[in-house]
Amino acid sequence: MASAHLSQDEFFDKLGHLFNHRKGSDHGAIYLTQKRLTYDPSEKSTMAKLFPDLLPNKPLPIIVRATNGKSKRDRSDKDKLSTVVEPHELEAFYARYADVCKAGMGALKPRDKKKSKAKAKKKKATA
Amino acid sequence: MPYFKTSQEWLDLSVALLEARPSQTRVTAKYSIKPVKPRKAADPSSTSADESSSPSDPKPPRGSLVLKTYDPVSGVALKYRTTKAAEVTRLMYAAMGRLGRAQAGVQDVPEETMQDADAVETPQGEQTPTQQQQQQGAAGGGGGGKKKKKGKK
Repeated sequence: MASAHLSQDEFFDKLGHLFNHRKGSDHGAIYLTQKRLTYDPSEKSTMAKLFPDLLPNKPLPIIVRATNGKSKRDRSDKDKLSTVVEPHELEAFYARYADVCKAGMGALKPRDKKKSKAKAKKKKATA
Repeated sequence: MPYFKTSQEWLDLSVALLEARPSQTRVTAKYSIKPVKPRKAADPSSTSADESSSPSDPKPPRGSLVLKTYDPVSGVALKYRTTKAAEVTRLMYAAMGRLGRAQAGVQDVPEETMQDADAVETPQGEQTPTQQQQQQGAAGGGGGGKKKKKGKK
C-alpha cells in the first residue's frame, strides 16, 4: 500500500494508468474522492479538533484520492492513490484533472454528430 | 437519495451542503463500465442470413459517471449521473473545481456582491446557454439579468 501522498505529477501519471487499465476490460469502476484535509498532527487545540467546521479562518488543502474500487477478496489488486492540493494550486490541478478524466473516460457516449446534423438539416428545411 | 435531473441543481445543493459541513463532506466521482446485456428477442432483423454478422457484433460496454456529495454525519447524499462524454470536462473542471474551492475554504467571488457591481462584470459560475442568451437579450436594461438571477436564489 502506498501510504504516502503522491506529488501531483505522479498522481496524474498513475491516474492515467488506472484509467488505461480500465479501458481494456468491459466492466469495473474508478472512484475519485475529494475532501478537505483537516488532519494535522501538530494541531494541539481541542477546539479545532472537536469543531473542525469552526476553524476555516485560513484556506486549507484538500486531499484527492483515487482507487479502482477493489476490496474484500480482491484486495491484493487494489490500487490507491492520493495527493494533497494546496489552495493556491487548485486552479492548475483541476485543469489537468479534467484533462486526464476526459481522456480516461472513453466508454461514455460521444457527442452524436450525425443526429444533430440531421436535426439541423430538418430545421433548415422547415424554415 | 434520488438523482438530480440537472448538474446545476446538483452543484447548487452540493455547494450549500459544503458550506454547512465543510470539513466532513466528501465529493466522489465514480466512473464505471458495465457490459451491455445482449438482446435476443428485440431484434427482428437477426434472421438466419444476418446471424453470421450480428451476434458476433457486441455493443461496446457502457460507461457512466456518477457524482456524489456525501456528508457522513447527517447522512445527506446528493447525486448526479451522466453517460455523456461531452459533460466530463465541465463537471470535472468547473463543478468539481468549484466544490474543491469550497472545501479548501478559498473564497469564491461571492454571488451576493454582484448586485452592486458594474454591468460589465459577467456573472460567476456556470450557466446554461439559454440563460446566457436571456441575459444578453436583457442587457439593454443594465442589470436586468442579474436581478433575475438573484431572485432565483
